[in-house]
Amino acid sequence: MVSKYRNETIRKKRRFEEKTSWEEINNPIKDRASHKVRALFAVAAVSIIAAFYLSHIYNIQITNHELYTVKSEDNRIRIRPIEPIRGNIYDRNGTVLAESFDTFDIIAKKENIKSVDNFLINANKVFKFNSDQINEIKSQFSNKKLKEVTLKNNTTIEEFTKLSVDQYLLPEMELIIKSNRRYIYPEATSHLLGYTGKLSENDLDSVIKLKDGMTSVGKTGIERFYQNLLSGTPGYEKLETNANNEIIRVLEKKPALKGQDIFLTIDANLQKFSYGLLKNKKGSIIIMNPKNGDILAFVSHPGFDNNLFVNGISSKDYKKLLNDKARPLFNRALTGQYPPGSTLKPFFGLVALEDSIIDKSKYIGCSGEYKLKNYKRPFKCWKKDGHKDVNLSSAVAGSCDVFFYDLAKISGIDFMHEKLKKFGFGEKTFIDLYGEKLGLLPSREWKNQSRQAPWYPGETLNIGIGQGYFLVTPIQLANATALLASGGESITPHLFLMSMNNNKAEQYGYNENKIKIDIDHDSLHVVNESMWRVVYDKKIGTASHLKEIEGVEFAGKTGTAQVYNLDKGKTGKKSLQDHALFISFAPFENPEIVVSVIVDNGGSGSAVAAPIARDVMNFYFKKIKKQVAAR
Amino acid sequence: MNYDSTQFGGFSSLFKLDVKLLTIVMSIVIIGLTTLYSVSNGDINLVIKQIVRILIGMSAMVFLAQIHPDNFRLFSPVLYSIGILLLILTIFFGVGKSADRWLDFYFFRFQPSELMKLFVPLMIASFYSDKSLPPRLKNLVIAVVIIIAPAILIAKQPDLGTAILITSSGIIAILLSGIKLSHIFLGSAVAIGAIPLLWSFMYDYQKSRILSFFSPNQDVLGSGYHLAQSKIALGSGGMFGKGYNNGTQSKLDFLPENHTDFIFSAFGEEFGFVGVSILVILYVLVVFRGMSISIKATDNFSRILSGTLILTIFLYVLVNIGMVVGILPVVGAPLPFMSYGGTSMLTVFAALGIIMSIKSHQRLMRK
Repeated sequence: MVSKYRNETIRKKRRFEEKTSWEEINNPIKDRASHKVRALFAVAAVSIIAAFYLSHIYNIQITNHELYTVKSEDNRIRIRPIEPIRGNIYDRNGTVLAESFDTFDIIAKKENIKSVDNFLINANKVFKFNSDQINEIKSQFSNKKLKEVTLKNNTTIEEFTKLSVDQYLLPEMELIIKSNRRYIYPEATSHLLGYTGKLSENDLDSVIKLKDGMTSVGKTGIERFYQNLLSGTPGYEKLETNANNEIIRVLEKKPALKGQDIFLTIDANLQKFSYGLLKNKKGSIIIMNPKNGDILAFVSHPGFDNNLFVNGISSKDYKKLLNDKARPLFNRALTGQYPPGSTLKPFFGLVALEDSIIDKSKYIGCSGEYKLKNYKRPFKCWKKDGHKDVNLSSAVAGSCDVFFYDLAKISGIDFMHEKLKKFGFGEKTFIDLYGEKLGLLPSREWKNQSRQAPWYPGETLNIGIGQGYFLVTPIQLANATALLASGGESITPHLFLMSMNNNKAEQYGYNENKIKIDIDHDSLHVVNESMWRVVYDKKIGTASHLKEIEGVEFAGKTGTAQVYNLDKGKTGKKSLQDHALFISFAPFENPEIVVSVIVDNGGSGSAVAAPIARDVMNFYFKKIKKQVAAR
Repeated sequence: MNYDSTQFGGFSSLFKLDVKLLTIVMSIVIIGLTTLYSVSNGDINLVIKQIVRILIGMSAMVFLAQIHPDNFRLFSPVLYSIGILLLILTIFFGVGKSADRWLDFYFFRFQPSELMKLFVPLMIASFYSDKSLPPRLKNLVIAVVIIIAPAILIAKQPDLGTAILITSSGIIAILLSGIKLSHIFLGSAVAIGAIPLLWSFMYDYQKSRILSFFSPNQDVLGSGYHLAQSKIALGSGGMFGKGYNNGTQSKLDFLPENHTDFIFSAFGEEFGFVGVSILVILYVLVVFRGMSISIKATDNFSRILSGTLILTIFLYVLVNIGMVVGILPVVGAPLPFMSYGGTSMLTVFAALGIIMSIKSHQRLMRK
């Protein structure tokens, strides 16, 4: 078979060669020569293409070397900021008010979670959530601001180790250390300390020094004002990561610098006690040292739990706070504006004496009302039957309105505006908190500008008893009282006592913040004595019903600021009730503290505000002073 | 010119190997193993696996070098037919991850398309071995059919890259056989006319790959991501490279496929432009040596076959490097003698074996 096939092949070939001579078809010499030409052509083409390739690679590797080096570094190097530990806040005795502490949280980064549904199913297997917790986690998913989902707060490393047995179910979960903030007296210090929160866009154009790597920032209160001291300096880690974002090694590390600890002028016990006195009321208490401006208590009631804000308040809690009629988020002590009412009388009396508008022995008859030309309705004194004959001293002690209507009429609005300014009315006190309100010391110009109306004589009379357009903030009133108590020399009210940085203390700059106003001492003596009579003149003193403090005499002035000028009790609505005010200082001879109390819609200053101030002073002299002395 | 290689003693002549070609290729192989060791972060098992594949490839080379070229010529039609048959079988019984490229014979799997990389040049060379050159139009058309038939079958799998490569190697064979100028014009016209037709037959992912080549910056994380990372690897290497074992792009996995298709970039990152130039020159030297064998060959079959095979190897080099440096689209082609993987290694060493057979059997020239 095989030989037969071969013979056939050979025969075919012969026939083929006969037909076309092999030499013609396949000329070895000619074929070799022409192949050589083509082969050399191919070699040349290969060389040219290789050269072109190399020039292209040259362009990448040499010409654009720097560009690609940057890109390569960007690929592998990640900077991870290290959050600094925020400084603690202490009171003047070293009691902790706010502290930083580390918590271990189990979280999952959203970027690592591919399917939310699968994640929830697996997370439930690991953590065995109840339905509330699942809803909470779902809401974390829908909150676009959050980059991670917190599965468990405040856990321990041991617990995480136990849970990591199931890590295969939930590879996304990881343990992170978070620096947290805790407020020891959440409600009582809420308006004073404020709170920290996640850095947001609102913080970008503020006075806060933003440092790379900061994620949380003081939002209000002391936390905000002293943010730059408290925050410290973030550090960073330069990490090498691979394409899966896994960390290979740490290339460089710069530790964070801890923030400074701050000591406040506040006395924690006094703050707590004062806050407690306002229970079921709305209002503010400010206690300060008239000589050096130290604020011992700065209370606005009701407060709120500032711990809720630290890790982002839930919208449910926030709505609850917003809808509360008592307005717990409203910092009354700093931003509340009230007519001063009768608490203005000592100040007004003082400037009138100084400028000899009246004599201290000048008497005026009070019949319970005061008539002004062209006004049909008379201006009423709070005492229907009148105070009979009163001079300045008894007019302050008994809070006679008719006396001050007359004084206002004699003085005129321009004088009052001009002279009362020196106590700081209508101006910021520059206490170390943001958001302070100005109050309002009215004037002809102000009315012209804001109301496009002339000033009416009757308005002057209302200003004379601290009503009408007149508005003060509690801190302004406390500051003005401090000037009375100290004889015109004081220091800007402040909360900062000192900061500690590596055991180096930095004191409050008392010398740079002195306030000095000219006060005639004879006149001041008359006024201060009249304020003493408010408390101790049993016949006419509007606060003479107060229980005495053993061993300490104090002076004060009641105030009842009318709201909407409505008759008391007629509407029956509590929100329209008068504000109760009381300013005081003690001890009378050598004042150590000024206490200013305002109770919103509380009723009369005499009945509501004065007893609170008395209790505060009693507590101060009986408890606080002894504690300090014992220390 | 006409000498008997057996008259020189020694190992290489005993096994009918070409020492020069082998030396150049082994240099490249060693560069490849060195890079592989670095890229795999010192995974010696991976390197050993690759060495085993190289040894298998070299065994095939030595085996083929012993076979007389006439046998290749005579068996070409048979081999070609078997190849076509296997390709047809692949369409019906093929397996694979994204494309059915593999035939599973239970005890081993292989890609029939890989065989065609050798069989098509063999078939063309064999077909032209007793034809007058440059070929007449009829023979040219037959050659084109020989090329197109497997190319279509492979493109169907779908493996467009290999189809294009096989077509290209066929065209190289035709060009090396000599072609009339008028036929070049005719062929170009037909090819250009076929482009829209080809495009309409392409799958979406094939289209997107080609499109991404023209605008790689548009989606860095999509199909252009590979190229962007490859350029970063090369570019950050600079003149002298980051140093051996210091490549960050490749070792931290930013460079995808860093031990297979993109091993050239990994090498360039660590050894810089100097290293890259040396490597490219080595590949050019492979061509020089192969073409020298082709020029010295004593019959048309040997000339066309050896020239085509060596140029096809270089074509693979161009396609791979062109892909990783952004000259050509990302098609997924390995770098001969360097990329990790067995199939390609076997094919290129087999091609070398055939070339060496041609070189060592020159004495059997007719007349």
